[in-house]
Amino acid sequence: MATNFNKNDSVKLVVENAGKTYTHNNGSTIDAIVDVSFSVQRNEYCVLLGPSGCGKSTVLRMVAGLETPTTGRILLDGKIIEGPDRHRGMVFQNYTSFDWLTVNKNVEYGMKCNGVAAREREQIAAHFLDIVQLTKFKDAYPSQLSGGMKQRVAIARTLANKPSVILMDEPFGALDAETRWNMQELMASIIESTDTTVVMVTHDIEEALFLGDRIVFFSGHPGTVMEDGPVEYKNRQRVMIKEEALDLPGYIEAERHIMALMRSQRQEIGG
Amino acid sequence: MIRKPISRTASILWGVSIWVIFFTAWELAVIFEKVNLLLVPPPEKVLTALYSLIVEGNFLNDIGISILRVIGSFLGACVVAVPLGILMGTFATAESFLNPFVSAWRYLPAPAFIPILLMWLGTGEGPKLALLFIGVVFFLITLIMDYTRQVRIELIETSLTLGASQKRVLWTVIVPAVLPNVVIAMRQMLAVSWTYLVIAEIVASTTGIGAMMMRARRFLHTDEIMAGILVIGILGLLFDLLFRWMHRVFFGYLYNNER
Repeated sequence: MATNFNKNDSVKLVVENAGKTYTHNNGSTIDAIVDVSFSVQRNEYCVLLGPSGCGKSTVLRMVAGLETPTTGRILLDGKIIEGPDRHRGMVFQNYTSFDWLTVNKNVEYGMKCNGVAAREREQIAAHFLDIVQLTKFKDAYPSQLSGGMKQRVAIARTLANKPSVILMDEPFGALDAETRWNMQELMASIIESTDTTVVMVTHDIEEALFLGDRIVFFSGHPGTVMEDGPVEYKNRQRVMIKEEALDLPGYIEAERHIMALMRSQRQEIGG
Repeated sequence: MIRKPISRTASILWGVSIWVIFFTAWELAVIFEKVNLLLVPPPEKVLTALYSLIVEGNFLNDIGISILRVIGSFLGACVVAVPLGILMGTFATAESFLNPFVSAWRYLPAPAFIPILLMWLGTGEGPKLALLFIGVVFFLITLIMDYTRQVRIELIETSLTLGASQKRVLWTVIVPAVLPNVVIAMRQMLAVSWTYLVIAEIVASTTGIGAMMMRARRFLHTDEIMAGILVIGILGLLFDLLFRWMHRVFFGYLYNNER
């Protein structure tokens, strides 16, 4: 089925029957994920959701090229992924600011790796620093920034590098509730103003429903896709403000549905 | 109070008072002749001995030679240890190849090599520099390797997904990330270097602070021996302060929160 997507122009990323098996030192094996297939359209915000330990981060890391699937394959723009590169920029949950570089130099880092000329780097960095509202802090060092600001540096740094897909592994998981909420709205406006395809891992249902155009739900142990579909309550529209999402008809049902899925998986793990 | 901070003044006062107690006890022991005055001279006599060693003797020369020995051998150890440590902490192959060798040497006490070093390198500067080098280089390699391993994997992976090559990750992420800790490792091992210096100069040298102390022993000049100990302590402290200062100057970006 996934091969059909290949012919479709608007398909960006295809994960095809991907599986990952870890082998312990004593020779025993454990299947982390089994037979995972889904695809992401261009400019789509795809959320990988599921209980902890379901392997959704492993899937994301395989898309990044930081891990290799044991079985199956992953294609970006029709090409099989081999190792990490600039086309799949990753934002991690833990802060990844380079402490020895100023905010501005952090944002320029990827462009410098890829041979963008100094003047152009400067312009692009200024643009994305403006988008994440850090222009005032461009000459500050990361140790002077709050957690939310550090995460904004990481997002600007990834965006400025113009990757084909942005991969985010629970990017707001380490932030306090209020900052998290602001960051989600900032993220919504960023994807609206830039042409970006995003694959984001989270276990926060509200976050998934607010930001996601599509939710791929994973079951636990071994992880595999349990449900995959567009976020229907939004009628293919994007919502910019969190309480607007809550007001839409169908939101509560969508949340209830995912919670039930979550619960069923948690009980399975617990039992 | 458990884990309650005290004021800076109080902290300084407490810190000074232990020294006051120490010197008072020393002075009293001498005054009431509880100790053999030949073996334990009063503190002020140590200071006058230090003064006359410097003014009338050739002690400054000895101090200079000792400092040069430490700096020379330590620089040599750093030139070898910093690149090797970083490579071993970065590449599993480099670690598998070199670590069994480095670890084995770490367990051999450096002074055990003095006799063979004297036979190989004669009685000049060679054996002293070699002893100091052997004494610190393997520990330095191990420390730097461990610090390099502690560079967070997310930083490396971020750099890779931004399009950096392996070489670029090494030079623009791993090296700058580990450098502050390399300076800390150097600070720790420089103290060890001083220890081996004294051993080398006591066992086989006619120059340097240690040699001066051995000469003084022959003439029962305990005040001069103690003056030597004092100078070594002060030099160790000064070098430690120098490294702390360098850390702050080179890696100011780590201290921003304190401003």
